[in-house]
Amino acid sequence: MPRRDDIKSILVIGSGPIVIGQACEFDYSGTQACRALREEGYHVVLVNSNPATIMTDPATADRTYVEPVSAEVVARIIERERPDALLPNMGGQTALNCAMELGRSGVLERYGVEVIGCDLDAIEAGENREEFAAAMADIGLELARSGFAHSLEEARDIAADLGFPVVIRPSFTLGGAGGGIAHDADELERIAGQGLALSPEHEVLVEESIEGWKEIEMEVMRDACGNGIVICSIENVDPMGVHTGDSITVAPAQTLTDAELQRLRDYSLAVLDRVGVACGGSNVQFAVNPTDGRVVVIEMNPRVSRSSALASKATGFPIAKAAALLSVGYTLSEITNWITQATPAAFEPALDYCVVKVPRFAFEKFPGTDDRLTTRMRSVGEAMAFGRTFEEALQRALRGLETGRGGLGADGADDFDEERFDELVGAPTPERIFYVAEALRRGWEPARVCEASGIDPWFVDAVANIVTAEKSIAQLGIGGMDATHMLAAKQMGFSDGQIAHLCGSSEEVVRALRAIQGVTPQVKTVDTCAGEFAAETHYHYMTYEMGGADEHVEAERPRAMILSAGPNRIGQGIEFDYCCVHAAAALHEQGYETVMVNCNPETVSTDYDASDRLYFSPLTFEDVMDVVEVERPAGVVVSLGGQTPIKLARRLEAAGVTIMGTSPDAIDLAEDRDRFSALLDRLGIDYPASAVASSVAEARVAAQRVGYPLLVRPSYVLGGRGMAIVYGASELETYMNEALLVSPDMPVYLDSFLEDAIELDVDALADGDECYVVSVLEHIEECGIHSGDSACCTPPFTLSASLVERVREITRQLADACHIRGLLNVQFAVRDETVLVIELNPRASRTVPFSSKATGVSAAELAAKIMAGAKIRDLGLPPEDRELGYYAVKEAVMPFSRFPGADFVLGPEMKSTGEVMGIAPTFPEAYAKTRAAIDYEMPERGGALVSVCDRDKRAVAPIASSLAALGFELYATPGTARVLRAHGLACTVLERMGAGERNVGSELAAGHISLIVNTPHGHSSRGDGFRLRGEAVARGICCVTALSAATALVMSLSAARDGFAAPVALQDL
Amino acid sequence: MNFLCDPHARPAALVLEDGTYFGGYAAGAVGEVCGEIVFNTSMVGYQEILTDPSYAGQIVTLTYPQVGNYGIDEAVSQADTPALRALVVRDLCHVPSNWTSQMSLPAYLERNCIVAIEGVDTRALTRHIRDHGTMRAVVSSVDDLDPERLVATARASEPISNLNLVAAVSKPGTLELGGAAEGAPRVVALDCGMKRGIEQGLARAGLDVTVVPWDTPAVDVLALHPDGVFVSNGPGDPASVPETTACVRDLLGRVPLFGICLGNQMVARAAGAQTEKLPFGHHGGNEPVVNLLTGRVEITAQNHNYGLVWPSLGPLVPEESGGYDEHVDDLREWARRGVAPVVRTGTVGRVRLTHVNLNDGTPEGIQLLDARAFSVQYHPEANPGPRDAAYLFDAFARLVAGADDYLEQVSPALTQPAYASPKEVAHA
Repeated sequence: MPRRDDIKSILVIGSGPIVIGQACEFDYSGTQACRALREEGYHVVLVNSNPATIMTDPATADRTYVEPVSAEVVARIIERERPDALLPNMGGQTALNCAMELGRSGVLERYGVEVIGCDLDAIEAGENREEFAAAMADIGLELARSGFAHSLEEARDIAADLGFPVVIRPSFTLGGAGGGIAHDADELERIAGQGLALSPEHEVLVEESIEGWKEIEMEVMRDACGNGIVICSIENVDPMGVHTGDSITVAPAQTLTDAELQRLRDYSLAVLDRVGVACGGSNVQFAVNPTDGRVVVIEMNPRVSRSSALASKATGFPIAKAAALLSVGYTLSEITNWITQATPAAFEPALDYCVVKVPRFAFEKFPGTDDRLTTRMRSVGEAMAFGRTFEEALQRALRGLETGRGGLGADGADDFDEERFDELVGAPTPERIFYVAEALRRGWEPARVCEASGIDPWFVDAVANIVTAEKSIAQLGIGGMDATHMLAAKQMGFSDGQIAHLCGSSEEVVRALRAIQGVTPQVKTVDTCAGEFAAETHYHYMTYEMGGADEHVEAERPRAMILSAGPNRIGQGIEFDYCCVHAAAALHEQGYETVMVNCNPETVSTDYDASDRLYFSPLTFEDVMDVVEVERPAGVVVSLGGQTPIKLARRLEAAGVTIMGTSPDAIDLAEDRDRFSALLDRLGIDYPASAVASSVAEARVAAQRVGYPLLVRPSYVLGGRGMAIVYGASELETYMNEALLVSPDMPVYLDSFLEDAIELDVDALADGDECYVVSVLEHIEECGIHSGDSACCTPPFTLSASLVERVREITRQLADACHIRGLLNVQFAVRDETVLVIELNPRASRTVPFSSKATGVSAAELAAKIMAGAKIRDLGLPPEDRELGYYAVKEAVMPFSRFPGADFVLGPEMKSTGEVMGIAPTFPEAYAKTRAAIDYEMPERGGALVSVCDRDKRAVAPIASSLAALGFELYATPGTARVLRAHGLACTVLERMGAGERNVGSELAAGHISLIVNTPHGHSSRGDGFRLRGEAVARGICCVTALSAATALVMSLSAARDGFAAPVALQDL
Repeated sequence: MNFLCDPHARPAALVLEDGTYFGGYAAGAVGEVCGEIVFNTSMVGYQEILTDPSYAGQIVTLTYPQVGNYGIDEAVSQADTPALRALVVRDLCHVPSNWTSQMSLPAYLERNCIVAIEGVDTRALTRHIRDHGTMRAVVSSVDDLDPERLVATARASEPISNLNLVAAVSKPGTLELGGAAEGAPRVVALDCGMKRGIEQGLARAGLDVTVVPWDTPAVDVLALHPDGVFVSNGPGDPASVPETTACVRDLLGRVPLFGICLGNQMVARAAGAQTEKLPFGHHGGNEPVVNLLTGRVEITAQNHNYGLVWPSLGPLVPEESGGYDEHVDDLREWARRGVAPVVRTGTVGRVRLTHVNLNDGTPEGIQLLDARAFSVQYHPEANPGPRDAAYLFDAFARLVAGADDYLEQVSPALTQPAYASPKEVAHA
């Protein structure tokens, strides 16, 4: 069937901000869809509120709306753009929910928009579990026994029928949000209550527990003619009970027989057929009883997903791209396999390697929360690795995770909780795989490990192989590691660092020894066909084989290598991927053969289309050097992938690698506090007083000099980890003791904390001669809240033109003094008329994509061109001080609801997972859009609870007054109530939680409160405020924890009263 | 198993007749054996591959690197013993895990005296075979692994085209499979090395199967009064078993007939076609085949080195070939045209091309319009592989029952669980 010509324009809905369970895999799928459709000549209209994506780049779609993904806003865009069709299955659950709402409300019908790629009834059947259960019964497939509950009472009845434990799954939530396993009545109460609250349909499924069964996912595609193919099977190493996003997974499935797999294949295709997936990609999840092979269907997603991104990267088959083409009428046999360019897409990829994905967590950011993994996803990123064996891939993936591990332990970083050791071998936590290995090291029988953990014996045996190999290496010692043993060790995935640790040697010695022995890795190709056909695409991984057969083909043009950002984590995510993808395009244009290195399967950068050559490799020195030695690049870009590649810059340079752009020494100048302070002194630039301390006594003395409050942090910082604000000596002592306990060798920085100062972020380009300031971003929250968690606005909305010019001037001075070539980011604090420099990052910052979209200056792309020798004066940039005519606001998205038990307050430690953007003629209107993009609705009426710390009491009255004027009924805690009354504002006084009849808790529970303004009392408050914020998050009540944010919110509520500002297409700016 | 986990591993070697040398370690039986080197890209199903009689004479390389994960389950064997010469893998699993497992793969190899080598860079080997074609090779785990000696040994070995491998794997005597319903149509199967999966496929289609040896004359077949005849898969070059081809020629037109794999080549040769050796054959579970009659794509299991040459059957019949009167180089063109072309042979009347491989445009299925026979090059019984084409057994049953449109009916098989494996039956 040829492509459809009756459709001219297609609306694609993106997934909105990065949240846990819905991350940059949808940038990958959405970008592929947009590009594929445009290549086919369709006019593509895109809606996505996430500015950090490649998808929302003005060049990806014809019309790009960085607007809230809500039915209301999308309806307005439909009204304006009049698309012929809507492709709703590329943007995760968010896009599907939005499309369903548009369908229900009649918008699609009114404007004659046809849904392509899936039909909404199929979505209903796939995701409404009651209908799904009935459909599965029709085709003779079993589901776990279950029942639907719409109230706690119903949930209790069903659980009584099934017996504990039961699994609770709310309907229609992202990544299974709100689900969990209840082992008793109390847990049922809690989890079902939360699930009912989170489900848009107020519906939860209560299900028999199949904990401990094998969990298998099948990634399936189907075309409109009914041809179905399985792209990949994925097996979870962690058995049922852990969300697949939080599990270590492996592709292809390892422990199923051909008969078992073919049965799952038949079932999967039958499920798609029955559910009515017209065409496109879906995934079907199964549980398989390891003792008798009984199969139970868990769920199916009639859309691309995190798993489909993983399957695409694991197989080389781009599922989203194919799905987009299928949606416009092509059949699988009409699409050519992009890798072989000779065979059709109607086939099933054959892998000749093993792929392991390991999730990355951020529990350390949320102290107080339980890190036991459940059916509710909480990982924030993942690393994937290829290997010729599971053992090799597992070790490489663990190394790629960048959590300081060289592989599966044996790296000097092992640290076990001896008291809970036995428990932790069994309990599913992020550390379990290390405990499993250690248990085997300590002589546990594999069967005992299997029994404790429920992990399949095959995987436990693989870990046992690694442990056995470890012992052999240690016994042999460096002298005994001849070429044969060295090769065997590398084939087991051991890093040079691990081998060095086991042999009591150093990484350098091991590497040098390997070079002499000729034990070096070979390039292999991901080709979808296990070598049966020649591959035209350079999608590679590296491994060790006997015989040294290598598939590397020398490129004709000089190579530019780009080191990307590795697994997503809080503080380093999609923004850097955005920069690297741009750099690849720009450097290709400059005549280079671009070589991308990354191990994050979710991203656009690991799409083999994004660069000329893709190496799926961990971003460690060893792995990067392996690629360097094969490709021999003319230069390596380290400044666009966040901290990960920056940390490698020195060692790479020392190894003779040419670093493109800013030199490692200049990077060091900016990052070394002493050198940088000296530079600022020389240039006469102000900066906050600061000191360094390595003991409590030193800290006390330094604090006297610098003065309280202090911003304290360990000298090794990533995303503001371990940062705090201390207001006095006793707090300082507590902090120092904790910090020194964690890393005894690392000194602690003590900076004067500029309370109430305005913080600015500046993104700029420099070429050695000239510096161009791309954007000056004014933060909404005051200093002290991590810039990644703070909302910001460009152009600045409260600063004078002269002050902004001074900021630009200082930026230029710094760029010049540090010899920056490429991007730089400077953080400023402005107090009164004083401009102080907080820090200089000689690299792409988290705000580059936002700055680029807000100003129309594609900063990352230009930075890459500058690194390749281009000059700013030749780039045709608009004047820095031009009038934009609009305001662009970025707001952070917090993952608090996933981490019950932690304190939900903004501070110097970054906790957000994603961001949204709003563009409007005024600041409050733009800010209102960002709020709508996060919450999908604004609090409009009801009660507003105001409870602020003493510091903020003075400033709270105007905010409360505005809230009252907007029609909110005011509630306040006693102290704040006194202030409000003094200002003549009527309010209801609420006692602290649990006290009196009407207290904060009871009013929240009664649903009287729709908005909370609560500022915390100092550092790590564990009092009433902590519980209040926890309640707010659990109930999904809008809660602001800084007065500056409250002011902005009030302004935006007022601005949004009469509806949001009109949607803006980036192409119209 | 990794060398660090098994320091006493015995060195072994795989040497190709062109001199290419691959080092590795012994697995399975210790010894030295020659054969034709081929690769199979199925990711699972090693046991079904090992026991597939069509691999007689061949050294089989599995491209998926870790093999043996789920052990051995006698119930899925395709024959009583493995017929292949040797097995080449990257990494062999000694501790399998699956509820159906009865022993490990290495133990099974040893028990059946199969020489195997692990630790080989099977991807490099596969690419070599892809680029240079199948060839003779030797796998050795004896003490003397001198490359020159091994190359000489490989070169001195008998090419399998000189051998009648079918005779070696065909079961002697007549065998009633039994189990069919009262009055079920009777089918005689010529066993050239028939896989158990085929026996099961025929039985599931409701046919009463009698298996006879490969060299049974047509007259003896007819003496059994069959309602249909089936010609099985089998090893080697179809040209080396003229007896069976002759039998098929005698049967065509006298009894409905269905052939699979080697059986397809026999039917084609009986109809006057030439067969040819493919550079490295099709061995895997992911070959896309389009059914020209329905337009549907089937993902198929395949295992053959020889194929028929479609144009050699005769000139096109334009009025039954969408008006086209010229053969095309690439048979995939017929899929694009939506036409199942028909040729006129000098022997059996009209023959229709029904199935084409989408990867390389080779013919995958033909239908003898005037002789009530059809055959496919691939394996509808799967085992291992996808079961998309299981409908062909039902098509045969319909042909036997006298239906004219037996191949054209769109089968539900593509989207419905095709049939249960033996284990599933046991489970149920």
